[in-house]
Amino acid sequence: MIVEKLKNAMIDWAINRSRIVVALMVMVVIVAGAFLSKVVMDTDPENMLMKTEPARVFHNETKKAFELSEIVVLGVVNEKDSQGVFTVETLGRIHELTEFAKTLKWRNPDDPSGMEGVIEVDMVAPSLMDHMSQAGPGTISFEWLMPEPPKTREEALSVRDKALSNPLLVGQMVSEDAKALCIYLPLTDKLLSYRVYTALQEKIAGLEGDEEWHITGLPVAEGAIGVEMFTQMGLGSMLSMAVIFALLFFFFRTVHMIVLPILIATVSIIVTMGAMIAAGYPVHILSSMLPIFLMSVSMVDTVHILSEFFDVYDKRKGRRENIRQVMNTLFTPMLYTSLTTAAGFCSLVFAPIPPAQVFGLFLSIGVLVSWLVTILFVPAYIMFIPDKRLESFGLQVRETEKRGLLTRGLRRIGFVSWKHPKFVLALFAGLVLLGIWGIGQIRVNDNYAKRFVESHPIHKADVALNRHFGGTYMANLILEGDVSPEATAERKRVMKEEMTASLNDLGARFGIGRHTMGEIAKDIGSIAAGSDSEHAMLSGMIDTFDRRFQEPLLDEESDFLQALIDSAYRQEEELSVFKRPDVLQYVAKLQGFLESGDLIGKSSSVADVVKKVNQELTDGEPENFVIPESLQGVAECYMQYQQGHRPHDLWHMVTPDFQRTNVTLQFRTGDSRGTKACVEAVDRFFAENKPPVPLQYNWAGLHYINLVLEEKIVSGFLQSFAGSFIIVFLIMSFLFRSPLWGAVCMVPLTITLLMIYGVTGLIGKDYDLPVAVLSSLSLGMAVDFAIHFLSRSRSLYDEKKSWKSILPELFGEPARAISRNVLVIAVGFLPLVVAPLVPYKTTGVMLFGILTTSGIVTLLLLPAMLRLFENTFFKRRGCRS
Amino acid sequence: MKRFSKTVVVVAALLSGGVAVAKAEGSSVREIVDHSNYVLLYQGDDCKGKLQFTITDRQGRTRKRVLNILRKDIGADGGDQKYFTCFIAPSDVRNMTFMVHKHADIGHDDDRGLYMPGLDLVKRIAASDKRTSFVGSDFLYEDISGRSPEEDDHELVETTDRFHVIKNTPKKGGVEFDYYLASIDKETGIAMKLEYYKKNDVLYRDIVVKEVQNVPAGDKMYPTVTRSVARDHEKGSSTEMIFSGIVYDTGIRDNVFTERYLRKPSRDVLR
Repeated sequence: MIVEKLKNAMIDWAINRSRIVVALMVMVVIVAGAFLSKVVMDTDPENMLMKTEPARVFHNETKKAFELSEIVVLGVVNEKDSQGVFTVETLGRIHELTEFAKTLKWRNPDDPSGMEGVIEVDMVAPSLMDHMSQAGPGTISFEWLMPEPPKTREEALSVRDKALSNPLLVGQMVSEDAKALCIYLPLTDKLLSYRVYTALQEKIAGLEGDEEWHITGLPVAEGAIGVEMFTQMGLGSMLSMAVIFALLFFFFRTVHMIVLPILIATVSIIVTMGAMIAAGYPVHILSSMLPIFLMSVSMVDTVHILSEFFDVYDKRKGRRENIRQVMNTLFTPMLYTSLTTAAGFCSLVFAPIPPAQVFGLFLSIGVLVSWLVTILFVPAYIMFIPDKRLESFGLQVRETEKRGLLTRGLRRIGFVSWKHPKFVLALFAGLVLLGIWGIGQIRVNDNYAKRFVESHPIHKADVALNRHFGGTYMANLILEGDVSPEATAERKRVMKEEMTASLNDLGARFGIGRHTMGEIAKDIGSIAAGSDSEHAMLSGMIDTFDRRFQEPLLDEESDFLQALIDSAYRQEEELSVFKRPDVLQYVAKLQGFLESGDLIGKSSSVADVVKKVNQELTDGEPENFVIPESLQGVAECYMQYQQGHRPHDLWHMVTPDFQRTNVTLQFRTGDSRGTKACVEAVDRFFAENKPPVPLQYNWAGLHYINLVLEEKIVSGFLQSFAGSFIIVFLIMSFLFRSPLWGAVCMVPLTITLLMIYGVTGLIGKDYDLPVAVLSSLSLGMAVDFAIHFLSRSRSLYDEKKSWKSILPELFGEPARAISRNVLVIAVGFLPLVVAPLVPYKTTGVMLFGILTTSGIVTLLLLPAMLRLFENTFFKRRGCRS
Repeated sequence: MKRFSKTVVVVAALLSGGVAVAKAEGSSVREIVDHSNYVLLYQGDDCKGKLQFTITDRQGRTRKRVLNILRKDIGADGGDQKYFTCFIAPSDVRNMTFMVHKHADIGHDDDRGLYMPGLDLVKRIAASDKRTSFVGSDFLYEDISGRSPEEDDHELVETTDRFHVIKNTPKKGGVEFDYYLASIDKETGIAMKLEYYKKNDVLYRDIVVKEVQNVPAGDKMYPTVTRSVARDHEKGSSTEMIFSGIVYDTGIRDNVFTERYLRKPSRDVLR
């Protein structure tokens, strides 16, 4: 009843006050459009995670603790020269680019005292690295790896030999076969990656020589995706618009009428995007998909109207009566479809992914906006078109249409559903089984490089560099001594006891008086009580003892205090977990375990540094590439390493208190399932190998974050999808006043989903972020078709009381509207397949799949079901009403 | 015409005067630099003391290094020297020792030796340059052992009440800076501030003297830097160096600077 009233009021208002409707709409568009210019982009995929998400928090803590930065990798490959990249020319150009990269920094607008861009001190390039080697017996040499670009072939080869002699650099800066070399450019902020990327590309374009240059690294891929996605969104939508326009023209032949869907789509997009920007939300990669979603959803409504209007248009009645009749028929199904679609998308608000929440919210708002615009603007617009313009519209063409391919095809389908309903049911049951089997084959995996087509420079760089190197995708495995309050307290207790024991022991040995002993014992007690960590306690003790030491003392007192201080220092040494040889051995073993399989390409840690320094300090022989036996030996290696040009490099691998260490893992592919396998392998290692001291481990690094992100997104979308499914089912059960009808309404959606996921699994396409997001669009389509078809069936059945008698009519206008929609949208978005970004290709293909599947299911399976169970569906309903 | 020639004469006079001034300044600039080098490194025949480094990184995390240092001159001021250092802290590198025979001749690399008790190894070090970190701090090896005045061209760029500001430009490449400015105290000759610039006049590190003490030695007083701070603007880290327990002219024996003592430093060095 309420719906009836609302319907009449709105339609009357739109028809009678068409000028006001149009004026209002123009105003709203202008206001919303004004906000579009205030758009802020957010291309950072990390923002897909909540700021409080533990993995993200830990990632950022780790970056800070180890002063790690996101890295752009500039690679060069020379396959032509037998010396690989180690020729005078190539090394010269590498040096030139290194110097150029140093200049890629700019004043930070937010912090006038600071610079942003490439962090020069952390760059990795041949001219910036230290080289340690033997210079005759008993002599170790420290020098720059490449102090200046070589002038002769021999010098170039010597640079190669030096680089290859350092296991830390092989597989990282230089490839094992010497054919390739990478310069690593850490950035102050990963959002600068695209800027650095374009500057490097320009510079490289001006270089001669026949080596290949590549730029890669996760921040580059992410940055480029962000930037290129936005530009392609514009391009892709334009192209689609053109195709859709052509298709609409093919169906309806009247330019005046076919601008309607396009107008309404545009208005809905402008208003929704404007509202989102006005509300202060940045346009994220996900919300950049809004226009395409809205365009397809709003197009469906308008095409329904157009189609109906076209089919029923009767010149004699005039436009007012015609449009009233059309709106009368379509108002209810359109309201239902819009409500269910909006509710379905709205469930994304409950996904734990901030951009998905914004996306879901504004998508539902957009759907309702588009509904409102359709209901009000379509009649108003039609009132503006003079009747004579519509002369050639509808009726006349209808005659030919009656014999057209589409009409005949639909009749055929209707006939099949009537004649062979059991066969149709069996066919779809078979498809469902196939789909379920396919879903079993689905592989959840995401890979940033694969967002680009194979010919894209970033994809090519990814392939080329990862063929030669240990991998350009990096994750950090962080190991830490047990710092839980319990462990700390326990260590503190033991250390205090040991200090008291040494005090008594040393006091007796040096014959220290009872008064002094008492004082010191009291000091120990109060310091222990007053410090919150064992570090604070020991350094407090050392300071206190040292103060005594500075006073005028007898020789034995001075020796006693010195010995006491020494014992405190020895206690302190033990706290430096990652100076302990046994712990470093354990880390090395872990690395060996990971490197032995295909899990990772390379790993590096302080264990490697200590081994290398120890080797060179000893005699350079390979058998001395080991961890020294004593903690002092390890400490000496660290100290020597820090006496080079890059002492700070150590702090990227271990914290200055030697409590935490960072094992960098390089992956050859961006596949998230590779990361996942590695994470599981590490879990296994820790379960099977007990560390010498309690160690905790955790993950950081963009590559790991991507795994977390992917798992969140997949589960988030699946959950919210399940939620949408239930909501839509409830709404439809309520609107149809029957759970049975609600259930049948979900059939096209269910089968469409099964088919889409099934095919994804069967063809071996990875189930990734774009697929997850796009599959939710099926909500807006499949349910829509089902509602239109079912509500028309019900109203027709009410009149004619027999399935057989309504079949021809059902397969007239309603079926034509659905199939026109399928054709317009499925084909309309196909041009996206030529886009160089894979998610756009996916969009095109997915839309095609969703539309055709849900269209076929609606037009073939639903009538077959209704025929077979006619009594169940209609008779019972009839009895009740 | 007459007027023109007059102008020429005036200009010529000015020019020649200018040249004369520049010349006088030129020689005095080198004198200033040499004196500053003397005050920093050559006061007394020998010197002993304790160096304490506090390294503070960008995040404010600190670590300490303490070492005793001995110096003994060989021959004239500005000539060769021997250095001996021995680590006191951190305790895990205690007794690690380091010895240098510094050659004033810039064509002659220093002889450096190293003993690591934990690894039980004595090594000679052949280093291609002196601009490596000293004990992992923001001071460089060259800041401690001195950069020979011969390596740079010197130019007096400013004279204030207290300082001669001298611009030092390396004669040869191979160093990471473009030039550095030294603000030399007119009275003591101590370079109170050193500012290192990269290409395009980008200041990237500096060393500032925070405290100078006059240390008596016999009847003389040697102004000595006791606290200075080196900052690396690129890394965001800084190091405070405190020099204490300074004694000049203690008559350190020559044999202290031998490999035997490298392994087992004398009590003098340890205390």
